[in-house]
Amino acid sequence: MKWPALRSPSLAKRLVLLAAVWSLAVLVVTGVAQTALFYQEAITRIDDDLADVADGLYADSTVDDQGQVDAPPLTDSRATRPFSGNYWEIAEIGPDGKLHAQARSRSLWDSELSGPSDLIQTLAAGSSKRVYFNAMGPAKAPVRTLAMEGVLPGRSEPVIFMAAEDRSALEADLRRFAEETAAVLVLLGVGLVTGVFVQVRVGLQPLFALRREVAAVRTGQAERVSGAYPSELQPLAEELNALVAHDQEVVERQRTHVGNLAHALKTPLSVMLSEAERHAGPLSPLVTHQAQLMRDQVDHHLRRARAAARTQGLRERTPVEPVLDELAVTLERIFQGQAVEIDWRAPEDLVFPGERQDLLEIIGNVMENACKYGQGRVRVIAKTDRPGRMSITIGDNGPGLTAAEQGEVLKRGERLDESAPGSGLGLSIVDELVRAYGGSLRLGPSSLGGLEVVIDLPQADN
Amino acid sequence: MRILLAEDDPDLSRQLKQALADADYAVDHAPDGEEAHFLGDTEPYDAVILDLGLPKIDGVSVLERWRRDGKVTPVLILTARGAWSEKVAGFDAGADDYLTKPFHTEELLARLRALLRRSAGHAAATLSCGGVRLDPRAARASVNGEPLRLTSLEYRLLHYLMMHQGRVIGRTELVEHLYDQDFDRDSNTIEVFVGRLRKKIGPDRIETVRGLGYRLIALEGEAAGS
Repeated sequence: MKWPALRSPSLAKRLVLLAAVWSLAVLVVTGVAQTALFYQEAITRIDDDLADVADGLYADSTVDDQGQVDAPPLTDSRATRPFSGNYWEIAEIGPDGKLHAQARSRSLWDSELSGPSDLIQTLAAGSSKRVYFNAMGPAKAPVRTLAMEGVLPGRSEPVIFMAAEDRSALEADLRRFAEETAAVLVLLGVGLVTGVFVQVRVGLQPLFALRREVAAVRTGQAERVSGAYPSELQPLAEELNALVAHDQEVVERQRTHVGNLAHALKTPLSVMLSEAERHAGPLSPLVTHQAQLMRDQVDHHLRRARAAARTQGLRERTPVEPVLDELAVTLERIFQGQAVEIDWRAPEDLVFPGERQDLLEIIGNVMENACKYGQGRVRVIAKTDRPGRMSITIGDNGPGLTAAEQGEVLKRGERLDESAPGSGLGLSIVDELVRAYGGSLRLGPSSLGGLEVVIDLPQADN
Repeated sequence: MRILLAEDDPDLSRQLKQALADADYAVDHAPDGEEAHFLGDTEPYDAVILDLGLPKIDGVSVLERWRRDGKVTPVLILTARGAWSEKVAGFDAGADDYLTKPFHTEELLARLRALLRRSAGHAAATLSCGGVRLDPRAARASVNGEPLRLTSLEYRLLHYLMMHQGRVIGRTELVEHLYDQDFDRDSNTIEVFVGRLRKKIGPDRIETVRGLGYRLIALEGEAAGS
């Protein structure tokens, strides 16, 4: 695995990788130490045997009249068979500074035990007078050798007693042991990493759950993070909720500020309008006209601000039926001078996935037009259109719009950003709101004789 | 005609007072909600022009208090807030008309005249059936003193049922009196309107007589009305 991958922001990957590296290091050290210990144990055993042999040689050797060393008859039969693996030799240091065999085991046949070149110096300098070393023995087999310097009575020159044992069996044992240990440790390592992997997946589960919940809050499927989390994550969940609440509060406050500003402008505008009307003069038409423009601007931007500040998502659920009822009652009251009759139908279980005031604004404006331009009859029918969609059809018995006029209204709706505020039908705000909810507006002739506006909107699940 | 003008903006108040006086109304002015409520509570006004953004007590609360105390004085609401949710809330509180600022003084005067005309002759004979009362002149209905919010079709249905209370009225007869034209007479129209009316006046007040039609009745313990 490359370093960038390690730095990638996956907690699970980091944890598993760190555990793997750590496990590997510990297991390698363990394996090496185990093997070394095993070797040490085996060598120590061999060394003890060699010491026995050498001590026996030393104890039982005698020197004859010519100063020749007489080896004792050792009982170990292995030392009598050629190249059996057990060897001994009694050597003296020749005038050339090299070892010369005085007596040797039968197993050595004609060969001699050899040692490192500095053996004599080491023996001379060493305090223990015993040196163990690995060397090549007869028959090209590796041997463990003990060399020990001793002085025999009747001989002034020191004598070197050497004992050796074949190491090849030990080497094979060692290799097998190392292989077995490695296999066991690899198995252990795989188990450990798997364990860590499972632990990380299970251990991080609340984190994944939290992520899903936060996503749900963002897309508007949930209002806040709700689940109970482990004590390490609970504060984070609470902070997230506080953040969401703060966010909503800020949006709400901005909305209120914009509203207050716009509304605060309206009373002075009223005063200007009235004053201009009462005192007819050269300025009066200008002031009236400009004040009306200002009113339209204020209304337009107030609505835009409201639309922009709308919280994204589908948190709200607004039943359609009560909204139609309230609008019908209110509009009939407003237009009671014209005796407007609003006939509306809506299934009780029809629910709009958005804010109540937005639905009021959408349907209210269209219904107001129908009341204003119709001739007393307004029909509103809300129904499920196709799964997940609803249609609200508002028709009147007024003069209606020609096809060209309908196109004009819709075109204006399409170019909302450049459109002048306060279009006569007030459909631009409706269109804007409907689009914000992923819906659409359609105009056509009504069976009542006038204009029919069909609003297509999403429908909330029941 | 005596009018209460509840408006906190001094310039607008001065203008409106002048315009109303010019139109021969007697005008009392209340600059805040507290005074407006007090005046409306104690003086017999023919109509009230009520700004919703009043200091101390807001206009909607003042209106709600009056209506709760049974005051039926027609109220025209003035407000800077023109969103439909606010209009609906104003009418919910019991407003009779609604004007969004800024407005032309002429429009205010025209609406005020219409309001006064409609409320004239308020003392007309009312129909009643148990706790349901209906005032045909003002086109208002109430249940146990609570004003009902009815659309004109619902009102017409209730009116017809109250005119013939105690009698079973067939569906065809009801449809004919609900719609003046041959129009929309599908079979469940009446069920829809009866259902809505039941929701507003109480489910047991309209009895379904299977196969025959509907009957408006007084609830047990209530005196049957006129």
